[in-house]
Amino acid sequence: MDFTFSEDQLLFRDSVRDFLVNEVTPERIRGTWESDSGRDDGLWRQLAEMGLTGITVPEEHGGLGMNELDFVLLAQECGYVALPEPLVNTALVAVPVLTQLGGELAAEWLPQIAAGDTRVAVGCAENGLAEDAAQCGLLLWAEPQALYLLTPEQFEARHNASVDPSRKLYAIDIAEGVPPVATGEQAAALYQAVLDRGALGAAAQALGLAQRMIDLSVQYTSERQQFGKPIGTFQAVKHHMANVAVRLEYAKAPVTRAAYALAGDESRAAHAVSHAKLAACEAANLAAKNSIQVHGAMGYTWEVDLHIFMKKAWAMAGTFGDTGFHKQRVAEHIFADGAVLGAGTTF
Amino acid sequence: MKVLVAVKRVVDYNVKVRAKGDGSDVDLNNVKMAINPFCEIAVEEAVRLKEAGVATEVIAVSVGEKACQEQIRTALALGADRGIQVETEGSVEPLVVAKLLKGVVEKEQPQLVILGKQSIDGDNNQTGQMLGALTNMAQGTFASEVKIDGETVNVTREVDGGLQTVQLKLPAIVTTDLRLNEPRYASLPNIMKAKKKQLDVYSPADLGVEVKSHLSQLKVEPPAERQAGIKVEDVDQLVDKLKNEAKVI
Repeated sequence: MDFTFSEDQLLFRDSVRDFLVNEVTPERIRGTWESDSGRDDGLWRQLAEMGLTGITVPEEHGGLGMNELDFVLLAQECGYVALPEPLVNTALVAVPVLTQLGGELAAEWLPQIAAGDTRVAVGCAENGLAEDAAQCGLLLWAEPQALYLLTPEQFEARHNASVDPSRKLYAIDIAEGVPPVATGEQAAALYQAVLDRGALGAAAQALGLAQRMIDLSVQYTSERQQFGKPIGTFQAVKHHMANVAVRLEYAKAPVTRAAYALAGDESRAAHAVSHAKLAACEAANLAAKNSIQVHGAMGYTWEVDLHIFMKKAWAMAGTFGDTGFHKQRVAEHIFADGAVLGAGTTF
Repeated sequence: MKVLVAVKRVVDYNVKVRAKGDGSDVDLNNVKMAINPFCEIAVEEAVRLKEAGVATEVIAVSVGEKACQEQIRTALALGADRGIQVETEGSVEPLVVAKLLKGVVEKEQPQLVILGKQSIDGDNNQTGQMLGALTNMAQGTFASEVKIDGETVNVTREVDGGLQTVQLKLPAIVTTDLRLNEPRYASLPNIMKAKKKQLDVYSPADLGVEVKSHLSQLKVEPPAERQAGIKVEDVDQLVDKLKNEAKVI
């Protein structure tokens, strides 16, 4: 069995990386913090022109019809630049859920999403808050027994501060009388899908964030001199980053595994996602902690870009289920009656 | 109007180039390769001419090993209609590239050939001019603006001290400077479409060209590391050093 990504998947990753690294610079992200909406409409338009907003939209609705495995590498690139726009939630959560709902809803919204004309925000009861709810044209709000698709006049969004200035979080009050688009068992299955897909997106972004923090730290410690040498040459410093690199490498396979499981609609997808989320967010948290260490006092300053990635990593750890939630899911799987454990089955 | 665009595979401009340990060449192991930035500008200009309804077909051509098909595909993803690879082994000199391109020009009969003014690896700045000499076509080098006007093309050139506009009779050769345009990104749908576009492969023999080498590379070494500067005590000392040591004033 060939576990490597295909030539096309890698080509897409490289193309998207070039685009994002050149266009989503820390300066541009800082610019959005000063804007009224906190978002950059020009950037969303560019993402649409690249075909990214429609990447998972089925071809019959104007997209490229790609799956979770195709997108997971791109989500890592989104993490690498700390993309503030809700592209990952759109491609990995909203579009597949709308596709699953099918019918008129899919026919109405998917072409608009693919064309970049409608921004979608995603929120779920597990998070309590919805990112970008006040900046979107459509809000997908998932509860365990009800799934809502809301246009801006159908809900009220109350702003909540986030540790990450790039995140725009809102509590949602749904207007009276607005019916859910799915209830009961269908809503429960879709709620699970929202949670798993959102968690996979957060995990993939955490990988990219960890890599960016390693790169920033390597660059800084190669330039910053002490005792006549770059501080990166001292073992105590380089071991910090080597530990992160090892943790990151071990987190990549679970994330790919989870994407593969979701793409194949495997029954074990939920705990594969939890494993991925735990491993990736641990790597990103360690990257944040050790990067701060090797940056010294400079790491705490607003001017140094490190905090853009560090705060996003913290946010990713808490979104779509925190550590406790995902550990619980893994534990339930392992301790379940009749659980088949061992190599090739546990994870 | 048919437009031929030459593209070259080079080390990505973001990569810090290193010499091999034995100094025989640049180390290309695990190095990211990309389309030469000036060639990317050439492709963009050709595609814009097509979008403006001036050009009817854009053909991207590259000379090199099979790997250069990657750069032809990039050009196709940016909007070129079809590609041609002239397959050669090892590095080829500008004169050989110009002769091979002349062969392609004779086959395709384009009205306009657009090339980058130079590649960022060899920095020779020769191929466009040599192609002009070999084909006897008019040439406008270092273009910062290209305007087609009937049977002529007006090329604004970046020259020392200002801009020079020349009018060339078509068919003509244009080499691009940095400010001609800002190339677009290849969108994902276009990358997919590019895989299905026609790509022909020719050998030098197909074009009647013998690949010969006139130069041998003796040594490749990195530039000397910059030395640390010094602090001067006052303005007088600074002026003295600029006058007597640096001899720049």
